[in-house]
Amino acid sequence: MNDPELEELFADPAHREIVDLLKTTRPAAPPLDPHFRNYLRARLMTEAQRTLQPRATRPWWPFTLKPKVLAPMMAAVAAGFLVVLGVEIYLQRQPSPEMVSVNLPSNRTNVATAEPIVIAFSGPVDKTAVMETVVIEPATSVTKQWVGQKLVIVPNHPLAPNTTYTVTLKPSASPPPPPPGPSVKPAPTVAPTPVVMRFTTVPAPVAPVVPPSFTSSNVHYGHDSRLADSGTVFSASWTPTGQLLVTRPAGQPGPGAATSPSATASPSGPAAPAGATDVWLMSTSSSPATPIRLVVPGGSFAAAAPSGGLVAAWRLAATNQATLGIWDLQGNLQSTVATVDGVPDRPAVWLDSDRIAYVDNGTLRIAGLHGAIDAPKQKVDHGSLAASPSGQLLAVESVDHSVVIDLTSATAPRRLPDRATGFAWSTKGDLAFLAQQATGTELWVAIGGTNEKRVTSSPTGQTWSDLNWAPDGASLLLASKSVGAGSSASRLILINPDGTALTPFASQQEYSSPRWSSHGDFVLFTRQDEAGGRAFWIATTSPSDVDAAEKQALAEVDKFMQARLRGDNASAQAELDAAGLGAYQGGASSLLSSPGTQFDRYYPVTVQKTGSNPNTFLVGVRIFVSRSGAQRSFFEEQLTMVLQGQRYLVDAVKSTPTMLLSHGPTVVSVEVAPTSEGQQGDQGQSEQVRVRFDADVRADTVTNDTIKVTDSAGKPVMARIAFDPDNHLATLTLKLKPGSTYQLAVTTGVTDINGVALTQEYDAPLVISH
Amino acid sequence: MPDGFEERELVERAKEDPDAFGALYDRYFPQIYRFAYSRVRDQSLAEDVTSEVFFKALRNIKRYTYSGHPFSSWLYQITLNAVADHYRGQHGEVELEEGADLPSGGPSVVDEVVRRDRSRRVWSAIDQLPRQQRAAMVLKFAEDRKIEEIALILGKSSGAVKLLLHRGVERLRRELPQLEAELT
Repeated sequence: MNDPELEELFADPAHREIVDLLKTTRPAAPPLDPHFRNYLRARLMTEAQRTLQPRATRPWWPFTLKPKVLAPMMAAVAAGFLVVLGVEIYLQRQPSPEMVSVNLPSNRTNVATAEPIVIAFSGPVDKTAVMETVVIEPATSVTKQWVGQKLVIVPNHPLAPNTTYTVTLKPSASPPPPPPGPSVKPAPTVAPTPVVMRFTTVPAPVAPVVPPSFTSSNVHYGHDSRLADSGTVFSASWTPTGQLLVTRPAGQPGPGAATSPSATASPSGPAAPAGATDVWLMSTSSSPATPIRLVVPGGSFAAAAPSGGLVAAWRLAATNQATLGIWDLQGNLQSTVATVDGVPDRPAVWLDSDRIAYVDNGTLRIAGLHGAIDAPKQKVDHGSLAASPSGQLLAVESVDHSVVIDLTSATAPRRLPDRATGFAWSTKGDLAFLAQQATGTELWVAIGGTNEKRVTSSPTGQTWSDLNWAPDGASLLLASKSVGAGSSASRLILINPDGTALTPFASQQEYSSPRWSSHGDFVLFTRQDEAGGRAFWIATTSPSDVDAAEKQALAEVDKFMQARLRGDNASAQAELDAAGLGAYQGGASSLLSSPGTQFDRYYPVTVQKTGSNPNTFLVGVRIFVSRSGAQRSFFEEQLTMVLQGQRYLVDAVKSTPTMLLSHGPTVVSVEVAPTSEGQQGDQGQSEQVRVRFDADVRADTVTNDTIKVTDSAGKPVMARIAFDPDNHLATLTLKLKPGSTYQLAVTTGVTDINGVALTQEYDAPLVISH
Repeated sequence: MPDGFEERELVERAKEDPDAFGALYDRYFPQIYRFAYSRVRDQSLAEDVTSEVFFKALRNIKRYTYSGHPFSSWLYQITLNAVADHYRGQHGEVELEEGADLPSGGPSVVDEVVRRDRSRRVWSAIDQLPRQQRAAMVLKFAEDRKIEEIALILGKSSGAVKLLLHRGVERLRRELPQLEAELT
């Protein structure tokens, strides 16, 4: 019972049984809107700024960018780094102290879709009034919050990719405090000048051909190369963007390195000399790998945040303590989230963008990036610790037995089979682990992290280790080793999650600790070298023929489009075959922009395979047209890319009418993908058509009447429609016949959250490949 | 559970410093929302109550004085008042009399119970307890509060809280086997 109060109160065994049941269980976690907590916090902080801080005692200049202060907002979204460009607005009637300057990111590109918008003011402003003037287009629901003199605008959902956003606000200086003595009539104020800033979000991955471009079953082993000699890299792990975080001996050369070894001592892992390591970011584009920059001087056991941009690492502090810090990839310390006694022996584990799990002298702890700490009271040893992609479930090899902890619920941890270890979570949220038995190694898989099942065991005489999911979550990579004297070489094996299709991967050399990169194009591993040390190696993987052809076609499209953006007629024409040239010269579309306008940017909307042997692709591109430096409209082209000799060339083009970029929502991408239901019947195979918008759209306007698919005869195709407001995504599930062409129409009946409709109907062809 | 001295310092800072108040919010939001939901069993209503609690706390924090009890006791008190304010004048909640029996396992209750596991069953049974018993049971068994603290929150003596807990456990003991028997 472990509660003296209850022990004293309940002596009757019948009562104690009930009490024990209550003490060992918890009510189910209540449903919670994930945005509610941040929303309420933003409102409270605004009110607290207004009511708790007497203006006279609050310094307003200079402000400092305190990570501690920014952390709550950055935690609410995937953290990003901020670049600000000064745009100064002088309110003419105000003397110097009331001058307001606004620092805005202006015309930035590649802005992360979860990045907060931070607008800094150099002087006191009427915060409530300024906040009310903020307008964001396309329509986006946001939480606005003041942090000192910074207005932080946090999108409630991820922004749309490939989209230029406009933020408009009217800064107005707050009136100076009234002078003591008799009141005087305030001077009339000047209407503030609106500030307009624009930024463009990152390109989305190009919608793949069917089947998806990366499936681990299509991948073949390419070639491998030594990343670094033994003793020069102690540990390595992938970042979400495909770079490597490595722990190197202190004092290695590279950008950002000091000329002498790190002044700060570092904790040492089993393989690293004590107090002598740094954490580096490295590129894999060359062999040996190239250091990009020193990220954590004196650091070790680095772990990249799943959302990218941040790194957690340990550093030794004075008096045999270590601190767990958070750095951005530029090497700036953002915050220190924990201090522990002794020397950590493993990296921390990111749960999501703002929580991290770590082991403090045998006890599992969880820290928030902004300081809140929760202790799950779980004793752990040196075993495996891994978090599900959602951060909800944590698989822990604990002292007594392995468990899965549901961090969103107070229910007791769920016990896993004996000797469960080597936890690996797939991108889909499936958990795999191994259990070593006397007869070999069992492979267990828990779909969705629950109801684990033993799917297979290693062949007789083999043991398995180093379990690692392929990025598509469709297969597992592991190291297999023969049991017995003299057999030290381990091989790589691919296996399906249901235990089938056990396939050797790679050559017959030795491989240990394989780690697949998030894009699936590399596998990191270690191999014993000639001197007996362990060196890090990297292997490339080869895509399937179709995937390789798609990449080649897209590369030619990019060359073609870049030439058109530059206005380079000759280079653009070099990407056309005779039919393609005739199409442009015949007026099917404009190769270059008309006078007074400019092709500003482009992105591929869709890639669809329309023929084989050789492969032919229909590539949809969206081209934005600017006038006087501002994007005003866009149109789309469907480019037919045909292999001519060794190159793909544009063979045909179809162009849509020009669509104005106005105040209404816009379709930013259309993707066709087969569903898991996908058996072909008389009416075709089951497909999903995914239509993504740039604005927060009213869900009740996304219906079968406003988004329609018609066949070549103009007959509507029956579809089941679902809408995901968080991702501005409408999904139509319908039967489509392979080899047929359909037409998608998104009508002006779709409106954004402000009730503004699509400016024009959006139409796009859908080609269903065999 | 935060260290008492650290919490006291944080609360004092929160009287002047919005960031400190934000830290208090971060620390106590989960348990206050959870407690609010346990009282109203409606997500939207729990959000309203939680908002009310923290805005009231913000408005009144300068008047808060440390009494030796955790800061959360004060927040729980505000929560109970906010819930009571909501129900005041409404007739939507049917309050059982002390000593009244739990529902006798009519079809809807049995259907509900059938699809829940044992722990869900016992917590569902707690939901059916009279209001004061339910509050005491949730604070003790779900929120791990001390009896003295629960007494402060409910405005009762420690002895009265012990009585509420005892009656609650006794009723579960009496009623749970009956519900479980109906399942078999």
